[in-house]
Amino acid sequence: MSFINKTFKPILTRLGSMPVAILLLVLLAVASVIGTVLKQNQDQADYLHQFGPTWYWTFRSLGLFDMYHTWWFIAILALLMFSLAACLLRNVPRFIKEMKSRKGTLSDSARKHMEHKFDLNLDNKAKAIATIKASLPDWKWMETKVQQADGEVLWLRGDKGRFHKMGYIVVHTAMLIILIGGWMSVQFGFRGNMAVPENAKESEISFLKGTGIEYLKMPFEIRCDDFSVNFFSTGAPSEFRSTLTILEDGKEMMTSDIIVNEPLYYKGVRIYQASFGDGGSMVDLNLFRLTKKGNLDTVKGQIYTTFEDPYSDASLELKDFRPYNIENMAEAGKPKDFKDMGPSVDFVIRGKGLQPVLVRSFMEPFIIDDQNQGTIMMISKSGDTRDFESYSLGLDFSDPKEWQLFQAFVHRLPTDDKATQQDNLDAFRAALDEVYPDERPANLPMLGNRVIQALKVLPDMPWPFVPILKDYDQKYYTGLQVAKDPGMDVVWIGSGLLVFGLCIMFYVAHRKVWIKVSDVQDGVALQVTGLSNRNPIAFEQEFEDLEAQIKTAYEQRNEQGASI
Amino acid sequence: MTAITLDANSKFSIFEGRTAHVRCWTYLGMMVGMAAMAMFAGDGYVEDSYIFQLFSLEGAKWMAGGGVVGMAYGFTTSKDKFRAFRFSEILVPWIDGAVLMIALMGLYTLFEPSQAMISYKDQSNLFSGRVVMTMNVMLLFSALCYVSYLFAPASFIGKLGTITAWIGVYAGGSALLLRWYESYLLMGGDIGHAPVSNLYEVFILLFCVICIVYLTLESRHQARALGAFVLPIVSAGVFFAIWLESIGQSDIKPLVPALQSYWMKIHVPLNFVGYGSFAVACAAGAAWLVRNKIEERNPNAAMLAVFPSLKQLDQLSYKAVAIGFPAFTLATILGAAWAAEAWGGYWSWDPKETWALIVWLVFGAYLHARFSHGLQGKILAWWAVLGFLVTIFCFVGVNMYLSGLHSYGQLT
Repeated sequence: MSFINKTFKPILTRLGSMPVAILLLVLLAVASVIGTVLKQNQDQADYLHQFGPTWYWTFRSLGLFDMYHTWWFIAILALLMFSLAACLLRNVPRFIKEMKSRKGTLSDSARKHMEHKFDLNLDNKAKAIATIKASLPDWKWMETKVQQADGEVLWLRGDKGRFHKMGYIVVHTAMLIILIGGWMSVQFGFRGNMAVPENAKESEISFLKGTGIEYLKMPFEIRCDDFSVNFFSTGAPSEFRSTLTILEDGKEMMTSDIIVNEPLYYKGVRIYQASFGDGGSMVDLNLFRLTKKGNLDTVKGQIYTTFEDPYSDASLELKDFRPYNIENMAEAGKPKDFKDMGPSVDFVIRGKGLQPVLVRSFMEPFIIDDQNQGTIMMISKSGDTRDFESYSLGLDFSDPKEWQLFQAFVHRLPTDDKATQQDNLDAFRAALDEVYPDERPANLPMLGNRVIQALKVLPDMPWPFVPILKDYDQKYYTGLQVAKDPGMDVVWIGSGLLVFGLCIMFYVAHRKVWIKVSDVQDGVALQVTGLSNRNPIAFEQEFEDLEAQIKTAYEQRNEQGASI
Repeated sequence: MTAITLDANSKFSIFEGRTAHVRCWTYLGMMVGMAAMAMFAGDGYVEDSYIFQLFSLEGAKWMAGGGVVGMAYGFTTSKDKFRAFRFSEILVPWIDGAVLMIALMGLYTLFEPSQAMISYKDQSNLFSGRVVMTMNVMLLFSALCYVSYLFAPASFIGKLGTITAWIGVYAGGSALLLRWYESYLLMGGDIGHAPVSNLYEVFILLFCVICIVYLTLESRHQARALGAFVLPIVSAGVFFAIWLESIGQSDIKPLVPALQSYWMKIHVPLNFVGYGSFAVACAAGAAWLVRNKIEERNPNAAMLAVFPSLKQLDQLSYKAVAIGFPAFTLATILGAAWAAEAWGGYWSWDPKETWALIVWLVFGAYLHARFSHGLQGKILAWWAVLGFLVTIFCFVGVNMYLSGLHSYGQLT
């Protein structure tokens, strides 16, 4: 025992001391700042690109990319926990002792320095004491008798908010409890993500650990029966909702809807709606061949797969499908004008001698003020959706007739340099007669302009075909966050205590009143003195009220006594 | 809101004694009535229609019922001579202020353009914009008054500063309430939400909180010179908010799904009670430093007569922290509770969370320095000032420079 005392006492004292605690808190604060400035858990390649190899490896070896889970950061938290515990062990006995001790008397010199005091002379000692005790029961009175040369003097001491010092104990204990809860969460809990396509099931979550990704199998499977999204007219999602079924050994255990902010709870595990995305939609693409023949193929593809074109060496890696594309069409500074550009598919086109680019292909033509502007296509040379630039293809590819018209026109175009404007126009007319034999299409001048635009753009295209979205069968995946947190309730208990303790600390004042009751010739003299450890202004009011209350209560008692 | 009409000399005051007690219980009864209506009336509580339900005949019935019961309780208990009415006397001016704000909001709705003139795309004709402008002007003018007051303490100008600051508070508060109402006028009511969802709205809230905390301290401690330090901080914020408006950040926008929760209405305002109080603590710290400097240069300077004493300023700074720290703690905890419900974990070391922890540690250390080490004066004054700078970074800096889960506070 003495060994333990000798070894651990000094360590405890040192660990629980203020300078050590402050050092730990400063370390924690500085480390936390680093963690916020340096984006955590990003792609390793991005870090390497951002910092260069030297700094990348330095940071990586320090674990700065997943700093809040490194051993040294956790060590700071653990030391802080021990420091708190040591501080409590050292100070709690002292606080309790101080709370228990109530000095019943007050020396004259001490009273001289006090701000709140008054004297009162009453005629009956017993009645005065009874009045005080009866009319001011909140004060928890304590009597002390002191023998003096001129007789016995009675002291009354009253206290309010004596548990004020409890506030400190409660607050620090609460913090300890919160830290313990946090430790339990990390030690016994898990948290990861899961993507479940509609009508599919999944039982594995993935989460980041250090610089890698780890997987964990759940004791149950989650099936997504349905997923739906509602949108505001600005195109932002207003609500997404998943219908989930929990399966255990193939047996359906429960079915429930979840939305953001309303998770599902199953056997200690919470399942949250976190995100959504394309779950492998089926798409039909029209490939308009940029060959002499100019034929049109319809092919099927699925998002997240690659379509290999059998007739050329080009391939399309299908990345994403979007049923809506709501864009603000207004110029900067003008009132917003939201417009739905319709469904689109994103893919990367690759091929021999082709620069791989990300393409967003729309199903519907671009229409402004009821004017068909033809199909547009967004192309990003960097592969990042933020770098999309739009290209007008001229033709409305949703209408195959326009493609036929274009082909017919190109075939008839005179090839020699001497061709005049009139020759070109004749060629266009002949093409129109071929494709629209019965009736000319509406808004012919506009169509003419668009064909000319197509003539400028399409022959320069390096691709063997123009891929345009034709039809789709959409399928979402629902992004779930799956977490088990056995420390959470402990944290809530700690948090509640923390707030409770702080309220005591800040808003409950320990107020003391001493009343010296001494016999005088025709009655009794009361010397009342008050002291508060905080909020002097409120106490001044309270103390003034005290005087009035004693006086009135005493008079009332007199009246009652007289009437009896 | 210790109302400015409170006059200590008058014999009878509706803010004191029995009258305050009865009024307080009437109010409390009405609130219970409102809560009861949410629980038991009609189809139960539906967030988007509850407010409108309150102002219907049904709402009037429930509130009146609760009010009568409360009033009766107030009357029966007010006969007790020795009963302290302090609780009611403290509470009643605050409820009065809130009622006044709601009444002002109701008044403004009369000036709202007709439904046909209101569009989501161009929100510039909404009336709340003008009320916010009034608030801006009032607060800037108040700052001028308070600073002038330092040089002309005898004149009316100090009082004018207080009055305009109060007008600013009521304009700001009622403008926010009006924005709440207006959000239901847009897009057929689909995007209605509490006006604490973007940087522009919370700035207005912050001005109001700072002013209310300060004005309460001013009226209790006769510390008007402090206004010359608080209101300039508010003015700086006002200019920032005007800039935000100029770059189109003042539009009412639909809420992202993560924010569609009752937690938003609790977590955000409570956080700003913390931020606002820390701002006042900072101002008191700055005032301490300025007074100290003046004293060092010339102990008989005329301006010193206006300033509260160093000890008082030290106390005021602490008092502001004493309001802010528990509120900030609670706000952070409630934020964690919300995070646990929406993101799957109560603590994710998100930049905003981490900075909130840093702010908490800074002010926790301030309290330790004060109580465990008995520090006072200069060091703590600097501490309060620097602590507020950290707070500003936590509030604005994190939104503008660091991304994370709180990124809806970002400029778009």
